Amino acid sequence: MKKAFKWVVPMSLAGILAACGGNDADSSTEEAQNGGDEGDTPSDVVETGDVDQGVEASGDEDVVLDMWIHQTGEDETDFYIERIDAFNEANDHIHVNAEIIIDDGGSSYSDAVNASLVAGNLPDVLALDGPYVASFAEADILMAVDDYLSDEDRSDFVDSILEQGSYNGELYSLGAMEASVPLYYNKDIFEEEGIEAPETLEDAWTWDEFMEVAQELTTEDRYGLNMFMNYGVGEWLTFMGAPFVWSNNGDIISEDGTTSEGYLNGPETLEALEYVKSLFEEGVVDLTPGEMQFEEGNAAMALGGPWIAVSAEDADLNWGMMPYPYSEQMKSPSGSMAYGVTTSSEHPDEAFELMHWMTNEESVEGLSEVTGMPPARISAFESMDKYQELPWSIMREQVIETAHARPQTPAYPVLTDAFAQAFHAAALGEDIQPVLDQQVQRVERELQRFND
Amino acid sequence: MARKKFRLKTREGREAVTGYLFLLPALILLTIFLLYPMATAFYYSLTDFYILRPNDINLVGLANFQMIFSDLEFRNALTNTLYFTILVVPIQISIALGLALLVNKNLKFKIFFRTAYFSPVVMSLVVVSILWTFMYNPNEGLINELLGVFGIPPQSFLTSPDQAMNSIIAMSVWQGAGFQMMIFLAGLQNIPKHLYEAADIDGASTFQKFLHVTLPGLRNVSMFIFITITIAAFKLLVQPMIMTQGGPLGSTKSLVYHIYEVGFNYRDVGYASAMAVVFTLMVFIITIIQRLVVKEERG
Repeated sequence: MKKAFKWVVPMSLAGILAACGGNDADSSTEEAQNGGDEGDTPSDVVETGDVDQGVEASGDEDVVLDMWIHQTGEDETDFYIERIDAFNEANDHIHVNAEIIIDDGGSSYSDAVNASLVAGNLPDVLALDGPYVASFAEADILMAVDDYLSDEDRSDFVDSILEQGSYNGELYSLGAMEASVPLYYNKDIFEEEGIEAPETLEDAWTWDEFMEVAQELTTEDRYGLNMFMNYGVGEWLTFMGAPFVWSNNGDIISEDGTTSEGYLNGPETLEALEYVKSLFEEGVVDLTPGEMQFEEGNAAMALGGPWIAVSAEDADLNWGMMPYPYSEQMKSPSGSMAYGVTTSSEHPDEAFELMHWMTNEESVEGLSEVTGMPPARISAFESMDKYQELPWSIMREQVIETAHARPQTPAYPVLTDAFAQAFHAAALGEDIQPVLDQQVQRVERELQRFND
Repeated sequence: MARKKFRLKTREGREAVTGYLFLLPALILLTIFLLYPMATAFYYSLTDFYILRPNDINLVGLANFQMIFSDLEFRNALTNTLYFTILVVPIQISIALGLALLVNKNLKFKIFFRTAYFSPVVMSLVVVSILWTFMYNPNEGLINELLGVFGIPPQSFLTSPDQAMNSIIAMSVWQGAGFQMMIFLAGLQNIPKHLYEAADIDGASTFQKFLHVTLPGLRNVSMFIFITITIAAFKLLVQPMIMTQGGPLGSTKSLVYHIYEVGFNYRDVGYASAMAVVFTLMVFIITIIQRLVVKEERG
């Protein structure tokens, strides 16, 4: 008996882990290399808090809606709260309880959503990342909203936002903001080297032209291009990198979403990744760039998100935007957080009203001003002055004309990791085809779950 | 009524009851946070539980366990974890013992060195991982700068499939060894002085004293450290998650990280639970083997 008891301690440590499927936040006693204060992996830090709302529920409201929004930046969250308060004020019979959940770019937000899903207490309206709409729609967690949206209103959203929000021909989500990746450039360096940057989509560089310029701009002291490989092997690589494949007339999954065989490992994808590989092999791109490589002038060009414009401006860089380079057809990255109404909502009409409010012209334009992200509505692009001229006109043209949503498949979490792994293998200079074939096996296994 | 019963018992019986009463709070917590989740995980391992379909859980028998055998990623993660453990355990124990012997000497600034060696343990592993990621940066990192002083060409560390795991091992040893150093130190100070005095009279050299007095005196402490380091090494998660996301090319994907990804990112709780059950069994078996080895040494 005594002997058996000795087992409890070591066993239990293994058990905690096993039981939680990898959450090691609980065991703190016997940490050989984890030390005393361990377990704060980003995914464990799920801080939630109620919104400090100016408008209190008076108790007379007929309808109370719960809403979850993600928090990435303070200004953005403040803006959401402002808009929710305005909604509460404009609708006497509805009161919205919003909960802000930290989104660290890792999995903390989706962990929180998953937990409440299993517990069966989802809110009426929730924010979710664009590529996850398909999973939630497939599992009947989100409600289709086609019937609620007028045709006129619908046509004001940019195509990529509707594409991102649709699954099997039905619309499930609407987003207020878009995202894009332009080709940033350092104007001073371009002037020095006498290189002229294209100013419209028509003049966009082809892959060959792009390679040539990038090589020319690469010197002993600086790289020609920054691809922000420091973000790690994750969603960024799919977001930024998949347009290389689409542009080359390829795709990473079949159009009906049933197979990746012949797509993710197809010749177009291979060719696109070979091109990416050559950028690294030529020494044009840095596999491990510092956080501010482009802003500090150590890379002449950068394929970065809209936030790079903000940090470049802060760093007093003389910067500009060019269109994403292309092979056969012009494609550019797209997609951001969006809203959905859950099927468990008892007030779907009001819930849609709220979701629509958060994506109406005023919200879309205001959010774009606060975050610097491009708006999701064409009307906002037209009314905002900054999008009428360079450099932001490039982003407007990309979002409206060349933006391509990431695939709408419930297997997306596996698919995006598969592509990111392959992209990273290309960057490392590995033999790409075997990696692609191996990744296809993973995706196919995951797809089986949905194809039956 | 219960009280009456106790009175009837012998003194030993009463003591036992008191003992178990003291144990009770721990047992309750253990049940809620450990035994119950373990049982749940075992149940899930027999089902097709997919997070997005919490109301549609079906028993699938041993299908999840069968899948493990054909899962190349599982095999890769297992290999990586074993590699990590086999290297980390002896290196970390030797360094911890070495440090303990050093700071046990009557040196100047003894307290300072003890604190310095122990300080990495106090830091959050996440913070340490991020700091070391900077230090390992091939272009701007501190370590390559230092190597450059000695004329060694820059290494790619975390971005090379061959070096990434070794880099994580080095960082893990640095972070963790201080903790075992303190335990060894306590062990060293428990060895009676008169044994050393007796050895001196016998004319033993320093090395002989280490071999025949110090090491045997540390046997129990060493076993404790050996087992705990092994278990903790198997649980490798934070370092690859923060530093490499399991890459490059899966070279630092650990078992626990793989289980985490399958369960939370890919939402396949059933399969993740099955892997967790297998993982627990493996750790259990390894711990038993370790205990058996100690027993033989005692005999």
